[in-house]
Amino acid sequence: MIVAEQKSLEEIRRMIAPYERVLILGCGTCMTVCGAGGEREVSFLHSALRVAQARSGDGIHSFTEYTVKRQCDPEFLATLVDRVKEADALLSLGCGIGVQVAAEHFPDTPVLPGVNTSFMGAVSELGIWDERCAACGDCRLAETAGICPITRCTKGILNGPCAGTKNGKCEANKDIDCAWILIYRRLERLGQLDKMRRYYPPRNFRTIPRPRRIVNKVRTELGESNG
Amino acid sequence: MVSTYADSVKRASFDDSLMPPCQAACPLRMEIREYVDLIAQGRVMESLQVIRDSNPFPSICAHVCTHPCEDACRRGQVDNPVAIRALKRFAIEFGADRMIQLEADTKHSERVAIVGSGPAGLAAAYYLRKLGYPVTIFEAYSELGGMLRVGIPQYRLPREVLDIEVQRLIQMGVEIRTNTRVVSLDLLFELGYKAVFITVGAHQSLRMGIEGEESAGVVDGATFLREVNLGLKPPVGASVAVVGGGNVAIDAARTALRLDANEVKILYRRSRAEMPADPAEVKQAEEEGVEILFLVAPIKITRESGRLHVTCIRLTLGEPDASGRPRPVPIKDSEFTMDFDTLIAAIGQAPQIPGDFHLRIGKGTTVWVDPVTLLTNRAGVFAGGDAVTGPATVTQALAAGRQAAFRIDEYLHHRYPLADKQAKEALAGDLLPKTVEIIRKANRFEPPLLPPKARVKDFRPVELIYNWETAIGEARRCLRCGIGAEILFQDKCATCLTCLRVCPYHVPYLDDGGMIQIPADQCQACGICVAECPAKAIVLRKPYDRRHITEELDHVFQAAAQSRFKPLIIGFGCQYGLFGTGALASLWREAQAGIWIVPVLCVAKVEPEHMLRAFEMGAEGVFIAGCGEQCAREDTAFWVLQRVEKVKRALTQLGLEPERLQTVHLQAIDEDPATTMDKFAEQIGKLCLASALKQEGKG
Repeated sequence: MIVAEQKSLEEIRRMIAPYERVLILGCGTCMTVCGAGGEREVSFLHSALRVAQARSGDGIHSFTEYTVKRQCDPEFLATLVDRVKEADALLSLGCGIGVQVAAEHFPDTPVLPGVNTSFMGAVSELGIWDERCAACGDCRLAETAGICPITRCTKGILNGPCAGTKNGKCEANKDIDCAWILIYRRLERLGQLDKMRRYYPPRNFRTIPRPRRIVNKVRTELGESNG
Repeated sequence: MVSTYADSVKRASFDDSLMPPCQAACPLRMEIREYVDLIAQGRVMESLQVIRDSNPFPSICAHVCTHPCEDACRRGQVDNPVAIRALKRFAIEFGADRMIQLEADTKHSERVAIVGSGPAGLAAAYYLRKLGYPVTIFEAYSELGGMLRVGIPQYRLPREVLDIEVQRLIQMGVEIRTNTRVVSLDLLFELGYKAVFITVGAHQSLRMGIEGEESAGVVDGATFLREVNLGLKPPVGASVAVVGGGNVAIDAARTALRLDANEVKILYRRSRAEMPADPAEVKQAEEEGVEILFLVAPIKITRESGRLHVTCIRLTLGEPDASGRPRPVPIKDSEFTMDFDTLIAAIGQAPQIPGDFHLRIGKGTTVWVDPVTLLTNRAGVFAGGDAVTGPATVTQALAAGRQAAFRIDEYLHHRYPLADKQAKEALAGDLLPKTVEIIRKANRFEPPLLPPKARVKDFRPVELIYNWETAIGEARRCLRCGIGAEILFQDKCATCLTCLRVCPYHVPYLDDGGMIQIPADQCQACGICVAECPAKAIVLRKPYDRRHITEELDHVFQAAAQSRFKPLIIGFGCQYGLFGTGALASLWREAQAGIWIVPVLCVAKVEPEHMLRAFEMGAEGVFIAGCGEQCAREDTAFWVLQRVEKVKRALTQLGLEPERLQTVHLQAIDEDPATTMDKFAEQIGKLCLASALKQEGKG
């Protein structure tokens, strides 16, 4: 899941400063689950911005709030047309994807990001999130016992551990487990330690052509289906 | 004091709660959860109002109800049931029930006669009068009340209590004919009554069917109690035997002790476990010196030189009989003899219906009625109470009277009887062991009793009333069944599992289909998941609390706008317990600053938006005052601190000092709460000054 955190109120206030009517738009999927931009956070941000306005005494903004199921699908955004017409700017609490889809969908309205999209990760306990996937496009988890060295090793090396491992922790941060020690232990447990003895050639990240696209449908020429 | 129709509609439309087990067990379907909760908040007058909404004579029930609600109370699965009856008694006494005046207008011309003035008759008169019918009660004895007057001893139901309720009926315009035995129903119809309600009770004692039962010195329980209750003091001698194990037997035994008897033995043919009498009454009787001989039955009575020789036999318990209780079986050659001055037979009673009424008799000697319409075989003649059911409880009789009033109303207006409204689904299911484990244990406070020696001197009421502290403590034990959380907006739910992770009681779970379920019968309605749900998809079944906070805030700001106190300080204070009524209520008066309290039903329900809203509306300082150790729920303080930290972070980013938001546990500090508040106010004052100077410096 995509994990993000809300931007600081100072930054948000700077961003919205030129706009009078601001629609705060939450997202009901990842941003709700990671607690950065669901309906509760939309409402909290709304309240906080109103406090700021009341306290500073220069009350030029009027806020409205709404949360859609998913900002990354234009069909959900289509339901917002009337609300967006009434706004001078859209403060999106969706991830970077949501912000962009909204910007595409509402070409005449500035769309501002309310969160910093951080990584793809999982909850380790309530309120604590850890990165787990770098979306490198070339998954090696079968060889590394289901533990990703790209995201979980500080160096992202493919043939570990390096000399910086100490008591199972990383030299860069003693609170972080050494990913390669975790990989070793799990391979040992699975009886696949031979995978440790193999050499994995370095990966060439430059081969990733951005922006990437996945096409999962058969391209048909017009009229072709009629035989 | 009167809730209007609009109120009830408004209330109902926001109320998705399930009927709690206590209410489902109550013959009158009283809103027990609601009135107990109001007592827990110290709102006794409102509690009494809720009580009076569904009970015509709550002061009577408060003394003598057999409280089936307590048997159903799910708190019993945790430790002991909530002492509901004693709490009602508290609300009656402290809510000034005796000051309440009732009035009723006559809206209809059809006159209704009620034969018998027991609880069923009085309740029917009450409701018929409220519906606007002219009502006449016919009573054979000199005073109203039926069994309430002649059956129940004064130490359990003081006569003033009954008199006040009767007086209120007279105020409402009920016509009373005492010393009037109705001999013919035809005559009533000739007198112009359009409907008759027969509630003659069950006053005829059953006979033991043993040799010597007719001897002088042998009396039946109902007659004995009636004589005592009507002011006669029948001589019972020094030693008295009472036969039977029901409430009448216990009443007779304790009454005999209050006369001239100094030794009273109850002979009961089964064991303690099978005794139908209320265990609390049995305990009180034993404290007073009543001795109970179990598995003993009299088989022969002879009278010699003024004493009764009672031959008894010992019994043992055999197979269950038709009533489901084990059948007592005599043990051979176990006869023994005891001497008594008086023997009171209290083995049961049955109705005795005058033959001239020409009513169809149903089971035993009871009146047959249609179970839906309550009509007897005669047109316009209804019946209810013990006369129909056989001996039952006061509350059942009140319920029968109420039902009869509505059926009579329908009959007189040629309407089809409406089936009893079961508006709410009843909550079913026991608490799971894992839930029980986490619920804080708190033992039941019993109301104080007179010491046994003081009791037996006269007919003073035995049970005393709670004081504020114990009543509120007891009321807080209520688990508030059936108003827990529910996912109102399934489409909003992102199945993020926050509720599952924050619930202190481990109630929400993922079902096989991957949906979150919050079982209503386990939820403790603490409100934590409601506030923490990132999708705002969860509500409490009684969402009153949430609206309440916002409404109260608005109310406070309107009021504060006219106040000259500066700086304005808003406090969200737990409304439960002594804390809400005592310490906080007086704060705004005692402290020097403009402190305004927003009462909340548990601080776990205060959301960050509420705190921010206070600042938005101009509060210079905000505090959250929880009840600390008194809290009946888990993890409250933890979540309040989480939210406070979140708001403090936001305040800092907005350039406001985080010290403007504080949590206080007034219970935990030794000093006077007002002093604490003054210090807080002083601190806020300094912050205000500092920020004003800063502003000026900038400008």
